[in-house]
Amino acid sequence: MRLSPFASVKLTIILMTLIALSVLVGAWCPQEPQVGFQRVEEVFGTGMAASLRRLGITDLFHTPFFLGLIGMITLNMVACSVQRVFPKARLLKKQMVFLSEHEIGRFPNSLDVRLNCPAVEALESLGSELKKQGFLVEIKDGKLKAERAKLAILASTVTHIGLLSLLVGVTITSWTGFSGFKPVAPGGFLNFDNSEHSKLWIGSPPRWKVRVESTHREDYENGEAKQWYSKLSVIGTNGKVLKQQEISVNTPLSFDGVDVYQSSWGLDSIEISVNGHTLHLPLRQMGNANVALMQLDKQTTLIFSLRGQDKPLRIFAKIPGWQQPRMLTEVPQGGKARIGEAALGYIKPMPVTGLQYKADPGLPITYAAFAIITLGVVMAAIPYRQVWGQAIDGSSGVSRLHIAGISKKSRTTFQRNLEKILARLKARFGEPAAGELEARPADNT
Amino acid sequence: MSEFQTVLINTAGVLSIVSFWFFVGSNALPKRQDWLIKTGNIILFVGFAALSSAIIARGIESNRFPLSNLYESLLWFAWSVIGGYLLISRSYGLKQLGWLASMTAATFFLYGSWLPAGQHEIKPLAPALVSYWRQIHVPPLIMSYAMFFIAGLSAFVQLWKTTRLRSMLLALAALAAGIAAIALGTFTDMNSFVLQGLFVGGSLSGLAGAWVNLPQQSTKKINQEHAELYEEVVYRSIMIGFPLLTIGIITGGLWANHSWGSYWSWDPKESMALATWVGYAAYIHLRIHHECSAEKLSLVAVTGMLLTMLTYLGFNSLGFGGLHSYGRFR
Repeated sequence: MRLSPFASVKLTIILMTLIALSVLVGAWCPQEPQVGFQRVEEVFGTGMAASLRRLGITDLFHTPFFLGLIGMITLNMVACSVQRVFPKARLLKKQMVFLSEHEIGRFPNSLDVRLNCPAVEALESLGSELKKQGFLVEIKDGKLKAERAKLAILASTVTHIGLLSLLVGVTITSWTGFSGFKPVAPGGFLNFDNSEHSKLWIGSPPRWKVRVESTHREDYENGEAKQWYSKLSVIGTNGKVLKQQEISVNTPLSFDGVDVYQSSWGLDSIEISVNGHTLHLPLRQMGNANVALMQLDKQTTLIFSLRGQDKPLRIFAKIPGWQQPRMLTEVPQGGKARIGEAALGYIKPMPVTGLQYKADPGLPITYAAFAIITLGVVMAAIPYRQVWGQAIDGSSGVSRLHIAGISKKSRTTFQRNLEKILARLKARFGEPAAGELEARPADNT
Repeated sequence: MSEFQTVLINTAGVLSIVSFWFFVGSNALPKRQDWLIKTGNIILFVGFAALSSAIIARGIESNRFPLSNLYESLLWFAWSVIGGYLLISRSYGLKQLGWLASMTAATFFLYGSWLPAGQHEIKPLAPALVSYWRQIHVPPLIMSYAMFFIAGLSAFVQLWKTTRLRSMLLALAALAAGIAAIALGTFTDMNSFVLQGLFVGGSLSGLAGAWVNLPQQSTKKINQEHAELYEEVVYRSIMIGFPLLTIGIITGGLWANHSWGSYWSWDPKESMALATWVGYAAYIHLRIHHECSAEKLSLVAVTGMLLTMLTYLGFNSLGFGGLHSYGRFR
């Protein structure tokens, strides 16, 4: 069969090299879709970041160059699979043939040994040694053939089927799946109207939505986060609750082909009262604390610091002339304090849960592909081994045993193994003195 | 960390250094070579047993699977290098890999011991790491890295056995540049771009020089049998490491999908692991289809070793960010 130019292994190597280099560049430069352009500017500075953006490096994995490489390697893989790899499966049907002494002798690793036993016994002992090592052995007319792990021939076929299945799974997801992220406060809703999807999308977002009933954080004794939890309700178009579940990191909610994940968690704001008026102050992360600012008068800025959802609110004041803010008081949730003319009350913190969601219709195929690829690469590590032998009777119950074998993946250990088997046979039967075999009948094979 | 653990880890570290000198001695005393190598292997095996006990003890003490930060991963890496070497040595009876493997294990013990004390302490896990996926995803990766290191070390010996001394030295210079960048990145505050430049620039120039100089051979006679043996060890090590890396990447994808809703995010660590995977896939294609000589394949294996080093240690020490920052300590 004439091979297509796309079925070239050289092309595979060139494309793999280019892909590996591109991926490394993509790993080096923070990618805009993941971290935003601001992060790229932080790392490289404004001028350099702009240059990298012009070159497409800040979103390298969506550039025509990279997508072209993926397209090319897909074509290459399909061509190689059809023309080179899949035809190898036919080898599975191919039966080993028995080889004669002369044919065995042509192998570079052929071995022969003289034994003090008849040929039948020598061959049966060899067969029995090979069987112990998992070989399938067949003996006929003084000749032996044996093979082990024949299925390993299919390693590349299985791996390529897995890789092609992966492409199918990813394509289905790309055309019909969607994903997104939304921070939601308790009582708020997550819907899928602004979800992200590919340009060639033919799917539709669900009409139901998710309500966040409550959310909280669990800490270790030292105050570090141990786990985040959110209690969610799935609300149908008629307003009915269709499902309820508490999610946490690593325990998502699954409903109607959509998975909702606990992705992040934070304190969004605090609700306080000042002289009877309720206020919501947004919180900002500063070190280990969440901080809100409020201008009390022209001179005084109040700083509210909250270290956790269940922790008391610490209130600091800063006025010009003070080098550092001074702590005024600490108020537990529901507590009150008087600061100058103002009566302050700490009502509650307002947490926000970061919900990641996605629908991935190609996932079953992708997972199956993962399993097939794993099977293929594990099979590739197992060496397929073949052994041929022939034993020829000499005079006075003496025989000469010839053996050889093939193992492309581990020649040395295989050869040593054959040598060890012959050494065991020699130890068992003993070697005849030189010359005893010369009287054997002429070999006519 | 308990006293018992410290004693076990120190024992393993010291024994890897002692075995190194036995292996080195086997080259100096050819008449006693077999005895010295056998003794070196026994000492290394005792060190392996001590390290295995230390890892188990750490797991019991922390009440979790003991693989959650850089220090613990270094212990696993040293364990895998020693275990991988002992396994391969049993099949192949190698004479020149012992000192390289024991030196690598000892280097990683030292690297681990020099990390800040906070790394040695048993600390609570970050929320994202509280999952059974951690023990499924991380060990195959660390073991694959160890097998790729063994492959890279064997590749150096293969180049030496085929008398490509100039190429071997240049490849060694590439490795030294990579190690220097990682060491400086770990223990100093040097600028990340300088470190990245040292790693990439040093690696590329060293490897390019090694490639160009491959036709240059010394006048020493080639030991063809040994050269073929070490070439086979490179291939076998990669054929063990490659499925482990594949399993590690795939289980990482499954974990990420389970936790974050996406099995692939083009995170720097994911991307580097993919580049490493593609690099070794290229090696396997080149080897199976006989596209290049054994010496060129050895240089591809050394390139793979550098990619592995970048993925495993470079990620943290050369200033890459992303979702896999658990191993960072500064």
